[in-house]
This record gives sequence, C-alpha cells and structure tokens, in this order.
Amino acid sequence: MRRLSLLACGVAFGVLLSTPLSAQRPASAVYDTERVVQLEGPVTRIEWATPNAFIFVDTRDAAGLVVNWAIQAASPMELARDGWKRSALQVGNIVVVEASPALGTSRKALARSVVLKASGKRLFTARDAPRTAASAGPAPRWPDGRVRLGAPPGQKGHWGGASAKALAENRSTPVRVNDDGLLMNLADADRVAPFQPWAKAVYLHRQRTRLKDDPLVGCMPPGGPRQFLMPNGFQFVEQPQLRRILVLLGGGNRNWRVIHTDGRPQEPAAEAVLTFYGTSVGRWEKDTLVVESTGYNERFWFTNGGLPHTEALRLVERFSRPSLGTLRYEVTVDDPRTYTRPWTGGWTVQWVPNEDIQESFCEDNPELTFVR
Amino acid sequence: MSKGLFVLVLLVVSLNASVAPAQEGHPLTGTWSGDWGPSATSRTHITMVMAWDGKTVSGTINPGPDAVPVPAILLDVANWTIRFEATGKNSSGAVSIAAEGKLDDIASAHRTISGTWRQGAAKGDFKLTRD
Repeated sequence: MRRLSLLACGVAFGVLLSTPLSAQRPASAVYDTERVVQLEGPVTRIEWATPNAFIFVDTRDAAGLVVNWAIQAASPMELARDGWKRSALQVGNIVVVEASPALGTSRKALARSVVLKASGKRLFTARDAPRTAASAGPAPRWPDGRVRLGAPPGQKGHWGGASAKALAENRSTPVRVNDDGLLMNLADADRVAPFQPWAKAVYLHRQRTRLKDDPLVGCMPPGGPRQFLMPNGFQFVEQPQLRRILVLLGGGNRNWRVIHTDGRPQEPAAEAVLTFYGTSVGRWEKDTLVVESTGYNERFWFTNGGLPHTEALRLVERFSRPSLGTLRYEVTVDDPRTYTRPWTGGWTVQWVPNEDIQESFCEDNPELTFVR
Repeated sequence: MSKGLFVLVLLVVSLNASVAPAQEGHPLTGTWSGDWGPSATSRTHITMVMAWDGKTVSGTINPGPDAVPVPAILLDVANWTIRFEATGKNSSGAVSIAAEGKLDDIASAHRTISGTWRQGAAKGDFKLTRD
C-alpha cells in the first residue's frame, strides 16, 4: 500500500511538473465566450494579482449545495482605470456576476460584469474599447527634430491597447475576430493571409481547436507582431548614444527586444542563432522607424489567432507616431515557405499617459495557484 | 530498484517531458525516429530527417554512411497523409522503399506518423515520432 502511495505521489508530482504553466492562455481556449451565466453570492476570497485579478464567490446549485466559483476579472491596472480600487470589494460582500463559464466542468468563469448587490454599484464591466482617453497633441520630438517613440521629457507613460486583436492582411473590410484572434467566420481564413495549403490547414486546425495549443500557454514569448498585441502594453526606450532602441514588453514575461540602429548588416541566415524576437536592425525614414528582422525560431505564434511561420520569416515593421496619443504599426510578412507572397497588415496603438507598465509573469499562474 | 530511486526516475522523466520544445512551423520539418517491421517482434530502427523548402518536403532516412535520400515527401493536408518513395541499399544492391502514413496530433511537439512500409519484397508497418 505504501509503495502504491509513493508511486501515486510520484506520478502526481510528475504530472504537475510536466504541466505547462498557463498564465497567458487565450480566453477562448478556456472559456465558452458565447455563453453567459449569472452568479450571485458572497465573495469568499480576492486575489488582486497580475495579469488578472480573481474573485471567488459562493453560490448555490439546483440542489442547494454551496458551489465556489473562481471569477477571472481584468488586470488590476484596467480595473483601476474603471475606478475599481482594491478596497472596493471585501470578502463577504454579496455580488451579482455575469460571466462566461469555463469550457468543461470547471467552476471558473470570465467576468463580464460584477455588481455589488447592496448598493447596485457596478464594479466592473468588460469592454472592447480602449479604456483610456486619447492623448491630444503633436508627437514629442528629440532636440534634433526626430520623433520620440517614448514618453515626452519629464513624463511617464507607455503604449497600451491595439486597435486590432490579431494580424491580418490589410482589407477595406477587416476580418472579424474575437479578442483572442478566433475568426467569427472560419470561411474568412483566405482573407487573413495568402496561405500556402499546409499553412492554411495548420491555421484552421488551430482555429478549430480554439487555440488550445498556443505556445503562449507554455510561457513561450510573443515574438513578432504579437508583442504589440499583449494586454499589458509596451514601451520604447531610445538610447541614441548606444545606437539602439529597447522595446520593453508588458506581457510575455516582461521580455525585452533590441532594435539596433547602428547600420549593422543582418547575419547570414545559415549562421543566425534563431530566437523568439529575431535580430532587428532599424533605420529612420523621415518620421518612420523601419525595422527589418530575421532569425526567428519556429517555437512561437507571431500573432494572436495562430498564423504559422517558418525560419524563413522576415518582417519589415514600420513605426510612426502621427500624434502624441497614437502609434501607427505596420508590418510586412515575408515567409515564402508559408505564404504565397509578402503581405502587409497593422494597427494603431493608443498612448497611456502617466502610467507604468504593470508586471506580468507567467509564473503568476491563476489556474494552478488560485483555482482549486 | 528502491522506492526513492523509482520516484526520482519518474520525476526526471516527467521533467524531461515538460521541457521538450514545440515546433510550430511546417508539421513535417524536423527529426523523426521510430521503426518499421513486418511484425511486432521484428523491427528495424529508422531515423528520418525532413525539411520543407517552400516547395518540396525532402528527407533523409538514417543520416550517416547508410543514408537514403528521399527526394520528395508528399503531404495531403486535407487528411494529413504522407507518401514517399526512395531507393536504398542492402547487401544485394539497390532496394526500393515506399511508405504511406498518417500524421497524428499535429499540434504536439512529439507528433507521430504511422502507416505501411514496403522495403523490397518485405511489407510491414511503421511509426515515427518527432524528436
């Protein structure tokens, strides 16, 4: 019996160790975002953590038994923008929650709204629109007249929400996707990118399986354009004296990326050490930073939604700042092993003034640490 | 084996499984290993390397001094089946190899291909797992 217990213990520990941490799992892979349930009951526990806050609520099922639900809310930063401070909710408060339940039988749900029953005060409402007002004014500039991609002198801030949820080829009528990059209509796949047949089949497989195999789930970094789609935003740190620009990412384990602006040549493909962020070399063309990147490995998805790529991927990104509050991002994807021709997509990103990027680490794993 | 050692081995195996890097590009690209044979007890090891150049998947069976080049591996993405032919060598000279199989679990780092394998007059099944 003791041997069996030891074996079971070993197996359980082994399974735990072999289970990837999943702080960044796409909501569509976890929740049935088409359904809404209403839950009412006392709050039993609050985890005010990044990248997502969780509240736990006791409800009663049809048989009158107490069932504890784990409710995933937005990040504390987003909640704060909605006026929801940490002290606004206390253990014992009765709340009414509208939420999308988890796929399967787990008592977990993604909050759409949370209302304090006693006062009727709405604490949280999920929204698609950017939560910050657009910053007005011209783009800040360096003394030499070049556009600054970061904060104006003496101020703080970072780039926040993107106007798109996933990368797709520029169209007069954009392809409709949900927050995770799932197509609203699978028949739109051909409008996303000019796929080679194998690439379209892989993309459709990922879409049909609701992105459950997203490498982000295993804490792989969001290389390529995806780094600019992460919910916690990003910022540029320009270092002209070092002839480089750092991109600090709010998501993806707070990774950073280097854009060299010293005119160095790209390494020959056969010699490149392949990485998640590739090797980036940038130059200014008037007010636009043009960055060419190669040397990507094949261990990540370069956008929400699961577009595939190979080691032949070459990206040309164009960053411009037409005003203080707007960054225009455009990327040309050139991967002849995956797509039949180069194609271009992009989005705009909104400036978030007077805020620092909050930390977001994959270890901060709600599914293993918060939810029973 | 002591109980402690047994558990330790189990943990090492589990840890090893957790760090296998996925490959998210063309699903055939990479190194595969497995075996083929006419029966469960008569098996021959295979290592196969496949690469996609944008137009063709080509490969090598058993890289090294006994390598067999595979000029084209056909992939039907409608049902994830593959097919290839090659010419190897044995003690009596050239021998033809032909295989047909199905790619399973395409999202897994350790996806598999299994199917039928003919080598000369011999016929059997094969299974390859991506390393």
